[in-house]
Amino acid sequence: MIRKQKQLLNTVAGCLVALSLVPATATAANGDTLKAVQDRGSLLCSGHNGSFPPFVQVTDDNKWSGYDIDYCRAMAVAVFGTDEKLKVVPISWAQRFPSLQSGDVDIIIKATGWTMGRDTELGIQFSRPYFVGATNVMMPKELGSTSPDTLEGGSLCANAGTSTERLAANFFKSRGIEIEMITFEKSEETREAYFAGRCDSLVGWGPNLAVTRQAAENPDDHVMMDVALALEPESAAMRQGDDNWVDIANWMFAATWIAEANGITSENVDEHKANPADSTVEKLLGVTPGIGERLGLSDDWAYNVIKQVGNSAEIFDNNIGADSVYKLDRGLNALWSDGGVIVPMILD
Amino acid sequence: MAATNYNIPPQISFSTKLKQNFFASPLDCLISVLCVLFFATVIYQFVDWAFLSSIWSAEDESLCRDAGGACWSVIDARHRIIFFGLFPYEEHWRSTLACVVMVATMIASCFSWFWSAFRLSFLWVLGFGSFYILMHGGVFGLSVITPERWGGLALTIFIFAAVSIIGMPLSIVLALGRRSKLPVIATLFGLFIDFFRSLPLLTILFTAAVITPFLLPGWLLGDKLYRVIAGFAIFFACYQAENIRAGLQAIPPGQDEAGKTLGLNFWQRVTRIQLPQAFRNSLPAIVNQFVITFKETSIVTIVGFFEILASGAAAYGTGKWTVHYIEVYVFIGAIYFMFVFSLSRYGAYLEKKLRVGNV
Repeated sequence: MIRKQKQLLNTVAGCLVALSLVPATATAANGDTLKAVQDRGSLLCSGHNGSFPPFVQVTDDNKWSGYDIDYCRAMAVAVFGTDEKLKVVPISWAQRFPSLQSGDVDIIIKATGWTMGRDTELGIQFSRPYFVGATNVMMPKELGSTSPDTLEGGSLCANAGTSTERLAANFFKSRGIEIEMITFEKSEETREAYFAGRCDSLVGWGPNLAVTRQAAENPDDHVMMDVALALEPESAAMRQGDDNWVDIANWMFAATWIAEANGITSENVDEHKANPADSTVEKLLGVTPGIGERLGLSDDWAYNVIKQVGNSAEIFDNNIGADSVYKLDRGLNALWSDGGVIVPMILD
Repeated sequence: MAATNYNIPPQISFSTKLKQNFFASPLDCLISVLCVLFFATVIYQFVDWAFLSSIWSAEDESLCRDAGGACWSVIDARHRIIFFGLFPYEEHWRSTLACVVMVATMIASCFSWFWSAFRLSFLWVLGFGSFYILMHGGVFGLSVITPERWGGLALTIFIFAAVSIIGMPLSIVLALGRRSKLPVIATLFGLFIDFFRSLPLLTILFTAAVITPFLLPGWLLGDKLYRVIAGFAIFFACYQAENIRAGLQAIPPGQDEAGKTLGLNFWQRVTRIQLPQAFRNSLPAIVNQFVITFKETSIVTIVGFFEILASGAAAYGTGKWTVHYIEVYVFIGAIYFMFVFSLSRYGAYLEKKLRVGNV
């Protein structure tokens, strides 16, 4: 009897394991997602179970906000002409990719790094990177310089056992800079130790450092090192196979970049539409047709995105940069013409 | 007269008691004084942090750094997120009212007047119905608010209430099934219970939320919230069934046989002889399971629900509030305490009322 029960249990357990191992082949066909979104009348974009400042957070009046949320809004505006049709679905980190496969969300815009494993094995297709997250070192301004050499003979606070810790150790070793690593289990401890002066500097992911800095007694007393330790390209993730949807995401990002490159902001977009400077602006703002039809959208989608959400500079500044509390330097996230790594595609 | 009173223990004054129990020897004195000092310091530190040196209003946030105490400004500014999650701001009255209705339903069902199948079901259908209408809307001119925007305390209470109300009848069925005289039924129910008990709750919730969409046809799926509640309720029922079974097994078989000789049918024996005694026998364990379940509702955050703990994380997770996470957690801890402590005290009251432990 007991043996039989055991056998049955094993069979059931085996079935479940087998089910979970079935490769998630829930791919989409070209144009499926746009059609599904339009039929449903809402765009399902990723949120967070809690908040991940400054990408996904909640305002005092219970609304989603943040850098990634703004791009979710831009996506909804591109498809529907209004962000009223955006539904932000709160999902945890662990849930991200299964939720995309099962159709709980149409697109993940959630500080998601473009890795080969995700790209090839998980059945996911990435947009072009819309943000690069630099691992960086924060140090007191009173040291007088922001170069790595400043920290010679000093100490560095890091979270124990993380890739950041190894990255920092290698970085300083390869440059022949002697630095003492002081590690802590919890990021709160690490932060407190830095603020208490137990170490001269703090290593972390750039946006997280910016969040930490604004919580300091005097945020202006702390600066970022002028060299990044590593870069992670963050991209929007979509189901494999729907090239049209990936195109829409790519050109949605590109529209905000091209607008910035041409000095078009949410404030002056109407003037630019009335008097387009060149043929690129004409196409971007839908003065001459083409930008919409090729994606299956209306010709004024990019105009709507810029008008309602803003160009890439505005989205960055409002959420992460100068106009936010975090005041993170635009750095590599600027357009190539301003010394960054963002290169808009060509609108023809 | 005096001779009849010899059973009554002599009346000892408070000071004598104190002396006898705490200050009998020099060592006793030392230990007592140290303990009092220790607790006084801890309590003073807490009172000082929480009340004396604390800042209360959101406008005074700038004073927090120098105050040295708790910065309750974060609660003042962000309590609506803790209570309502992502529920639209203008509709918070609906969420509040829904919470009140649900808590009132829970309290009402604690009174023995409601303890009949008909009254209890009526009460809960009414309670759940009004909760759903208030939260979801779509009728009486209320705007529709879909479950992915529900959150905060309202969602925690909803999940707990739904799990209890689905799980409790299910657990009775499972317990009776496992004790069935028919081997096939008993084995199947036993396997069902043991299967779900051997899986971690997290796995069940993750499967319900994330894996089932791959397995079930679309029309059977329903909203993620209801799938998760169903999974949670099954988990709850399997544990509760074992508690009830323990209570059932404690009843001497002679009682059931006596019922049979009186001509009572199966359902009469179950509802009038077995279950009332089973509940009485395993009351502490049953209440315990409710307490555990209330606290375990926080696990649903891993499948992306904005229950009270996730809402708390969202409340402190922005700009200047990031440093005040302790205040938010203390506040949420107090809310949990309120609910769980009331639940435990109600359990203790029931035990007294049903004379559990006295034969």
